[in-house]
Amino acid sequence: MKPAGSNEVFSIKSRLRRLKRDTNRWSILTLAIVLFIALPVIAIAVKLLEGPGETWWHLVDNLLADYIGNSVFLIFGCSILVLIMGVGCAWLVARFEFPFRKQLEWLLILPLAIPSYIVAYAYAGVFDYGGSLNLILRFLDFEFIRIDIMNKFGLAFVLSISLFPYVYVSSRAFFLNQAGNLLEASTMLGVGEFKSFFKLMLPLARPAIVAGLVLVLMEVLNDYGAAQYFGVNTFTTGIFRAWFSLEEPETAVYLSALLISMVFALILFEKWQRRNMQVTGNKASRHIHRKVGAPLMQWFRFFLVLIPVLLGFLIPVAQLIYWAFLTAHKVFDLNFILLSLQSFGIALITAIVTVLFATLLIYFAKWSSVKGIKSISKLGILGYAIPGAVVAIGIMIPTLTFDKWFINIMDTVFGIETGFLINGTLVALVYAYSVRFLAVAYNPIESTALKVSDSIPDSSKMLGVGNFKTFFKIEFPLIKTGILSAIILVFIDVLKELPLTLILKPFHINTLAVKAFEYASDEMVMEAAIPSLFIIFTATIPVIFLNRLLIKE
Amino acid sequence: MLSINSISKSFDKGKNFALKDVSFQVKEGAVCAIVGESGSGKTTLIRLIAGLERPDAGSIVLRGKELSSVKKLVAPEKRKIGLVFQEYALFPHFDLLKNVSYGISNLKNKKQRALEMLDLVGLSGLEKRYPHQLSGGQQQRVALARALAPNPSLLILDEPFSNLDAMLRMQLRNQVFEIIKKTGVTAIFVTHDTQDALSVADEILILQNGKVIQKDQASNLYTKPNSVYVASLFGNTIQLNQELQTAFDCPLNADCCHAIRNESLSINKECEYVTHARVLKKTFMGNTTHLLLKLDNGHQISVVTQDDNVADHIKIGFNSTDVLEFAT
Repeated sequence: MKPAGSNEVFSIKSRLRRLKRDTNRWSILTLAIVLFIALPVIAIAVKLLEGPGETWWHLVDNLLADYIGNSVFLIFGCSILVLIMGVGCAWLVARFEFPFRKQLEWLLILPLAIPSYIVAYAYAGVFDYGGSLNLILRFLDFEFIRIDIMNKFGLAFVLSISLFPYVYVSSRAFFLNQAGNLLEASTMLGVGEFKSFFKLMLPLARPAIVAGLVLVLMEVLNDYGAAQYFGVNTFTTGIFRAWFSLEEPETAVYLSALLISMVFALILFEKWQRRNMQVTGNKASRHIHRKVGAPLMQWFRFFLVLIPVLLGFLIPVAQLIYWAFLTAHKVFDLNFILLSLQSFGIALITAIVTVLFATLLIYFAKWSSVKGIKSISKLGILGYAIPGAVVAIGIMIPTLTFDKWFINIMDTVFGIETGFLINGTLVALVYAYSVRFLAVAYNPIESTALKVSDSIPDSSKMLGVGNFKTFFKIEFPLIKTGILSAIILVFIDVLKELPLTLILKPFHINTLAVKAFEYASDEMVMEAAIPSLFIIFTATIPVIFLNRLLIKE
Repeated sequence: MLSINSISKSFDKGKNFALKDVSFQVKEGAVCAIVGESGSGKTTLIRLIAGLERPDAGSIVLRGKELSSVKKLVAPEKRKIGLVFQEYALFPHFDLLKNVSYGISNLKNKKQRALEMLDLVGLSGLEKRYPHQLSGGQQQRVALARALAPNPSLLILDEPFSNLDAMLRMQLRNQVFEIIKKTGVTAIFVTHDTQDALSVADEILILQNGKVIQKDQASNLYTKPNSVYVASLFGNTIQLNQELQTAFDCPLNADCCHAIRNESLSINKECEYVTHARVLKKTFMGNTTHLLLKLDNGHQISVVTQDDNVADHIKIGFNSTDVLEFAT
């Protein structure tokens, strides 16, 4: 046999021959799932080619500057606020010991359980002319004050206090796991507390902080409910107006494309800022030894950390509970219970479907032997970056085309009159949720799957057992907790989701989020309290449960 | 018989080859050791045989059936090859009985066979235990029982003793290969320890930088290594360069490379080639003593001796029969 030279082994011809050998059904199935998930974005890209709608140029002249201006304002305003609150609190709880620190550490996560639009409704009630703040002031015999928060400043405030935990969580994880040794080294070199923080900790934590910040900004650009309620023109409200009021899909598509570009600019920024940072790796550092300090300073730190918890969770919840008592007799009835069950049911179905897709994507990519397939499979989780309203429109376009084609075929070929098969049904809604929340399910499953050493499933295969049976007998039992966390996380996200649901929900079906939105839009914001509280409590319980589960692991 | 034909594998599209044009055969029932440093490609080689990696060129044939080539691949689960992983890879959520019976396809006497295998490796009575309740040596034996249970055509062991401490290692090495000999299965094992290879293998294959350097019976490798590298794998050697040849006054064939094993050097004895040396430094190592010597011509060499009581000035020499000769 003649020896194989490197040129010959890696000639295009032999590469293609090996590609043919290595392509298996898993490679093709992985591509199919990625394509399925990417379809909305592809649909929008194709629709762009058809040109803008009639009102597009009018919109460019009159409104676009407003959309861009407001979005940029929100990006900068929210960045400043969430950085101060998120990084500040993370540093305080990681570096110092003070009363109720442990409780505050997890209370700081809870604002994530309240969707931004509900925080917006609650604060409208707090700062209203006859609202809670003035009731309290009058009770204490103070002057009335008039604070108008129904504007872009108020919106930035509301979005920031409901989203800062993303930055808090990512920077706290860094401070707790990576910073201990470095901080001790810095102290040993005689560097003071302030200088250590600003010169050493902040630059090192930057990738973690920015990763959290980008998540916040994606949510800011995704928001529809709060902006609509406060009357601020943003890209999402623009998309809704183009779609529903102007009935111009082309214009909605152009706005969507602009919005997606903004999000991808954010993602590129995140990648760029990480370019020279060496990943510190998993090597856990020693925990920071917490400083105790004088009692007065301890209480001062306690109050500092308490402020975001109060603003982001306790005050809005208190306001909603107060409203709930006032409106319970009107809102709480059999219909409401049915509505809640519907909402939970949809969230549960979606959670299971999404987790199934995520698991298949992870394992199909693993079983595929073509190297490129693994990188391509990662594209499947980009749906999280795409705002809900855009996903919804991206799904409407191809499914409408399909449904029209299907009705036509059924009519002409079989003579049967049918309705829409996908549009306006649960199928379209669950599909859209899966596209958007695939990453939410993907991450916990992948991280537990990575903990199972490859040699475990490989041993099973060497013992003559195929991929599927190996998965059910060996891998599934070992990644159960990851799958359970994924189901819970998707369930919560679906329950809170508003813009996508508004566009795609079937006519006769309603969710808690949509109900709260409808009440608020119909000048009955007090009545929105009960559905809102339902969402908050169902979101809070799993967060605590999940926290326990992760601690136990 | 297992035959590996011109196998090549690169992980970076041909810039570097983990294995380049590797060919060899292992006879039915033989135990073959693959020896190499880390990075020599030995793990890649067995993963290719197992089907966990895919070759870029060449083919692998087991008992007349082609398992891997550039056109065709038999899935790992259809190869009937038993593989014992370095870290054992026992299923943590199964007890020993379930672990061992997992790969047995014959449903009828599945349990009986598993119990027999546990008995064979000396672990009967522990079938209800879970892997985390076992010592490292016991886990190793469970992994062996599990791999042997489906009656594989070939057994591969990846660094089987590297996770064990020295005492346990010797004991287990003998046990494991007694079991393997008893079952008569063809076996390949990978190691970086030549002691492992010499003590249990019928044949040894030396890999360096992805290439086969030498393949031979264990005793031949020791007495007739074909390179300085192979010679040095089986004990300390001193290369006899031109300077040393002059010092010992032993003119050797200038077209070849020569070396002498450390243990062939004798101190204060009559030999064919002798020179005087001064002891610069003695390092006591327990059962041996390391000497750093300065020869008359100023050249320094280090020598290992059993004698811990050598004088400061000694005579050192060797015989021509002990000189190893290699083609350059």
